[in-house]
Amino acid sequence: MGKASFVLRRTLQLVVTLWAVGTVLFGLFRLMPGDPTSYVVSSQMTQEARQQLIESYGLNDPLHVQYIRFLENLVALNFGQSFHSNQPVTDVIATYLPNTLVLMLTAFIIAYVLGITLGVLSGWYRGSRFERTTVITALTARSVPTFYVGLIVLWIFGATFNVIPMSGMTSLGTGGQNTGFFDMVFSLDFLKHLVAPASVLAFYYMGYPLLIMRSSMLEVLSEDFIDVCRAKGLTERTIMFKHAARNALLPIVTAAAIALGYAVGGSVLIETVFAWPGIGREMVRAVLRRDFPVAQGTFIVLASTIIFLNFAADLAYGYLDPRVTYD
Amino acid sequence: MASSDSEMDRRAFLKATTAGSAVGMTALAGCTGGDGEGGESGDGESGGESEGDGESVESNLPTYTYTNNAQSYNPPRHDAINLIASQFDEELGLDVEVDVLEWGTLYSRVTEEYDYSFSTWHTFFVSEPVTELNNLLNSGNTDPGQGNYSGYENAELDDLISSYLGEPDADTRVDQAHQIQQMVMDDVPMMPITQMPMAAIFNNNQVSNWQADLANGFNSYWTMINLEMEGDETVLKGYWPETLSTMNVLGHNDENKHVYQFNMMYDYLVQLNNNAEPDPEVSLATDWTRVDETTMEYTIRTGHSWHDGEDLTAEDVAFSYNYINENEVPLYSTQSQYLESAEVVDEETVRVNMAEPLGPFNLAVANLLPIIPEHKWADRENPSQQNIEEPVGSGPMMFDYWEQGSEFGMVRFDDHFAPVDFERRFWRVIPEASTVWENLISGDLNYEPFGRIDRQLNENQENENIGTQFEVAATFWHFTPNERQTGLDDAEMRKALVETIPRTAIVDQILFGFPDPGFNVVSPAFGPLHTEDVTEYEESVEAARSRLQEAGYSYADDGTLIAPSE
Repeated sequence: MGKASFVLRRTLQLVVTLWAVGTVLFGLFRLMPGDPTSYVVSSQMTQEARQQLIESYGLNDPLHVQYIRFLENLVALNFGQSFHSNQPVTDVIATYLPNTLVLMLTAFIIAYVLGITLGVLSGWYRGSRFERTTVITALTARSVPTFYVGLIVLWIFGATFNVIPMSGMTSLGTGGQNTGFFDMVFSLDFLKHLVAPASVLAFYYMGYPLLIMRSSMLEVLSEDFIDVCRAKGLTERTIMFKHAARNALLPIVTAAAIALGYAVGGSVLIETVFAWPGIGREMVRAVLRRDFPVAQGTFIVLASTIIFLNFAADLAYGYLDPRVTYD
Repeated sequence: MASSDSEMDRRAFLKATTAGSAVGMTALAGCTGGDGEGGESGDGESGGESEGDGESVESNLPTYTYTNNAQSYNPPRHDAINLIASQFDEELGLDVEVDVLEWGTLYSRVTEEYDYSFSTWHTFFVSEPVTELNNLLNSGNTDPGQGNYSGYENAELDDLISSYLGEPDADTRVDQAHQIQQMVMDDVPMMPITQMPMAAIFNNNQVSNWQADLANGFNSYWTMINLEMEGDETVLKGYWPETLSTMNVLGHNDENKHVYQFNMMYDYLVQLNNNAEPDPEVSLATDWTRVDETTMEYTIRTGHSWHDGEDLTAEDVAFSYNYINENEVPLYSTQSQYLESAEVVDEETVRVNMAEPLGPFNLAVANLLPIIPEHKWADRENPSQQNIEEPVGSGPMMFDYWEQGSEFGMVRFDDHFAPVDFERRFWRVIPEASTVWENLISGDLNYEPFGRIDRQLNENQENENIGTQFEVAATFWHFTPNERQTGLDDAEMRKALVETIPRTAIVDQILFGFPDPGFNVVSPAFGPLHTEDVTEYEESVEAARSRLQEAGYSYADDGTLIAPSE
């Protein structure tokens, strides 16, 4: 099978997967107990007014009618309007997603650069104190809850030494001063606020690529071509990074693609601890409030990103390792 | 056996507050019928009174379900419900399961499906208590979602409430309100567990002179126009644990976080002072007259303008009332029930015609309907679902910015007739309570609009930078039995349940002594409308058991409560 037919087949699979995800989401939210209007209405509201509101959301229509409307809107990338804020869901996503992406991508880049480098080194120096230390650090980073690390960081560096801001993306009371998102992102104030949550997240994410890279390195280092490299008189540094690490990198591609996909969903715990206005918190809030359009919209964006990035990782395999075929 | 007294043993208390699941398991192990029918006991022997040897008898009362919010949603209330349920189960001999539910599910389970036995949450009565009681207890409101989820029916009470609502004379209304309270507390369809206080929590170096009003406590219009900034501080800096949802004054869900913003951005015909009295000095209407039972006339303040500079006229006032009424704005559906129309009499006068007589019209309607600009809203259809980005009002604060999920800011409207002392006010979204307290102490925030009664308050209230002030509020944690369930339609059973609730222990040990134990659904905060002369129930398991035995109930050897046979 050629590359073109592989892409075509995977694209069809991707469409079916997205349909399945959408259908499951639609069903799940409707199966949840509780009335979606209970968060929208006031206790003062009369029953007639409440009924009127339910009708205006289309929630009194039969399920199949709601489902068909949902699919039509999905194809048109129209996720509807939030029950709670009356904003189009795309606007809600556009408000919160960039904040999450800045935080998560910063953390992701730090984590993968550090994780891969330390993974290569710990694989290379197998049995050394350095390896033991990095492995213990990686396991600790993956085991300790991020919110706990976040609270400790806030307590030490925020409350005690006052060297990091306690919350948010900008200083208190400065809202409205930035003329746009990028204006804010490139301000010193924002960078000061970014350091702590990004570092805590990077610490957590770092463990995964570190451990994968280490075990992959151990596998590669036992292969014959490493001996050949040594026999050619290449320096240890060249063998480690140019030959061993490059060949050990493949498993990281899939791991990174999936991790990057999840990054789009944000981190509810970190967003809560550091009062970061991200999509993760909004997603949970939408679920708890039975705000179906926002919950469905955000989950579909998250699922689609993971599916697309996985697809991209499959394609990248062929490029990174010519031995991989598309059969 | 613990806890007949208000002082509970610490160990028993801790055990009880975390015993929700254990209570539930007891219920499951008891294998009692959920249909209220007697029947065979677990070992196959027939029911009836047993003779010693620890032999158990199956109760002819059903297994009761106490709905509880998740621990994370409201920790103290979660603990209190577990405690009460364990008291009912272990001390009163009922079979009680605690059902922990997410809030939306819990609310619809109780108010829509009536699938519950006991419910408890924080009930907010606004400025008019009898309209609230009418909603909660009127015999005509017992259909799903109508408000009377307790299922209580009392024709005499309905008549009395109806007379009160149509009564134009304030003194007569006070007498009627007292009778209503006496009748309600005699039957206890609903019992306040704790009378929650309003709390002003602030940085005392930056802001002072906190005066509460009845409905919105220390976040009221009255509070804000009387606040005084200290030193060089010119900004009022608050927080909220979660983001605002909308800037639509006609499309929010009446949550405090929205009400507290809109009551500063918009004017209302009538505003209340800290004695819960309409005050023309600070209201948009400078005078009002009741023309007849169903007609009010308001004199509108002249020379006032909207935040965008347009004049605010009598036409705007009449438009607001008619627009809300004609568009059947769901948020104000209760107020719209009483509205027929509004008309401009002359440049300064607006006449409001009621659909039916409503004595406390100023408190129940004129104080609650916002005045909106006709030039902005006239062309808007379906007002409750409008997505408003920059609201234009006429109140003492103007919209400045809204960074969703992060911060909301308003600036002072210098031309307002009741100006505020601070130049700006912002609210930052901070979900983490310890961060809020660090900011409050350091002065990065200078007030805590939420007034949260919790451990952090208990621990920090003595800090030299922190000021606190407490006032009795119109809100309470209610205990409501579902009278549709077997046994709970019996007033003696309800009274015994109320006597079993350790209200003082809940106040002292769960709520750090901040609230008062509840005794009347109409709080002392309502001033003359409240009366102390209602039936009071002691906190005593012994009294509850004696009451039930006098009413014909009996106890099996294993402590199971047996209802009298028909």
